[in-house]
Amino acid sequence: MLIDVDVHNSPPNLEQWLEFLDEPFRNEVAQYRGTRNASSGLRGAGGLRLDADAKSPESIREQLLDVYGHRYAILTGTYSHLASTNDPEYAAALCKADNDSTLKHWVLTDDRFVMGLRIPMQDPQLAVQEIERLGDHPRVVCVQFWGASNRIPFGQRYYWPIYEACARKGLPIHVHPSTVTAVLNHSTTPAGMATSYLEMHTCLPQYYMANLVSLVFEGVFELFPALRFALIEGGFGWLPHLLWRMDKEYKGLRQQAPRLKRLPSEYARDHVKLGTQPIEEPRKSVHLPQLIDMLGGDEMLMFATDFPHWDFDPPSILPKSLGEASIRRILHDNAAGFFRWPKGAFDPKPEPEAAAVS
Amino acid sequence: MTWHRVARSEELVEGEWKIVLVAGKRIGVVRREGACYAVLDICPHAGAPVCRGRLTGRVTCDDRHRVGYDPHAHTLRCPWHRWEFDLASGHGVAAIRQKLKTYPVRVAGADIEVQV
Repeated sequence: MLIDVDVHNSPPNLEQWLEFLDEPFRNEVAQYRGTRNASSGLRGAGGLRLDADAKSPESIREQLLDVYGHRYAILTGTYSHLASTNDPEYAAALCKADNDSTLKHWVLTDDRFVMGLRIPMQDPQLAVQEIERLGDHPRVVCVQFWGASNRIPFGQRYYWPIYEACARKGLPIHVHPSTVTAVLNHSTTPAGMATSYLEMHTCLPQYYMANLVSLVFEGVFELFPALRFALIEGGFGWLPHLLWRMDKEYKGLRQQAPRLKRLPSEYARDHVKLGTQPIEEPRKSVHLPQLIDMLGGDEMLMFATDFPHWDFDPPSILPKSLGEASIRRILHDNAAGFFRWPKGAFDPKPEPEAAAVS
Repeated sequence: MTWHRVARSEELVEGEWKIVLVAGKRIGVVRREGACYAVLDICPHAGAPVCRGRLTGRVTCDDRHRVGYDPHAHTLRCPWHRWEFDLASGHGVAAIRQKLKTYPVRVAGADIEVQV
């Protein structure tokens, strides 16, 4: 006679239990063929996130590069599997595989593709090993950080070996919020665990604010003067306030940032650029150029589509009122001067040969 | 510019401000490690009575990024927003534009004099 106190039955399909699920959740689960999961970045929360297809180089060429006339696209891939693991060696293996695969199956298929190097942020020494392994590849233009799942703010000593390697190789750091914002730091916003993807996604700039404050006040840009950061997918409306606040706080609490020789805002302007997406859309259109002016100018911005994500921005989202020169800087020039491009990346392309006339 | 007697030398106790009115101006006079300083008792930032602030040394950072402390870098921290000013020059220690107004000080016999 036996009593078993733990047996896991496993429903064969969703339908078996879906009929018992109340609306509006039944519709959502049926549509997305799965339930929400806090540790997956709440991707399906609200059931409204639908991305385009970017599963092949052809799909990106057809829907993006050829449509908008891209000169280059920095491939940033996905991070869920990297940012969600607490095992550094596993993460290192995933990063290596991801990097090699991205090079072989994507980057080398089209001259317009370049990439960011994934590194296991779980362990700085392993991260440096990957930077040493592949950081000199000409089509690697930056190193990638995930920006919303780290437990340690970016300015602290933990990261300095990574910064030394990046600065030495001339590689800026491209920070992108991971979709997995809960697993490694136990909250999806700095205020705690948000209820929805909407809340989490709206609050993403808060991670950037905290990390930028850390970078500046810890003196990272004094220690590594060649280091640069791109903060992507956090918009930019939050930055003027932060620059003012950092300067004001610093003037009274300078002893707590003894490495600084200049105002905090000066370091931010010299070492950091922001991706435009999702671009702010203030109610009064005149506020957008005013906002850019408060940042210190359009040199701070680099255009991003975030393709194939649901909140994609096309280049036409930049209002014409910004002016042609400003739009060109945001669409092209600022990024051209920021990343570590391969030699000849901006040489004039030869005209295609005219077809022979027989 | 005139020299004004503001105190007897023995009145000026190390580290303690003496506030005097000279030519209509409220001026603080203090002795630090043998040196005498005189500043306008108004913070150039937001008008605080700056001489109520703390007299300190200074956190430093050398060219090799080593952080230390110089107890002989005579510094005044404003009581309102904690801005630091060099007592001798009036310059802010952080990269600020504002400057604390300072006055020349001398010991003339048994007296302390300030030039205003």
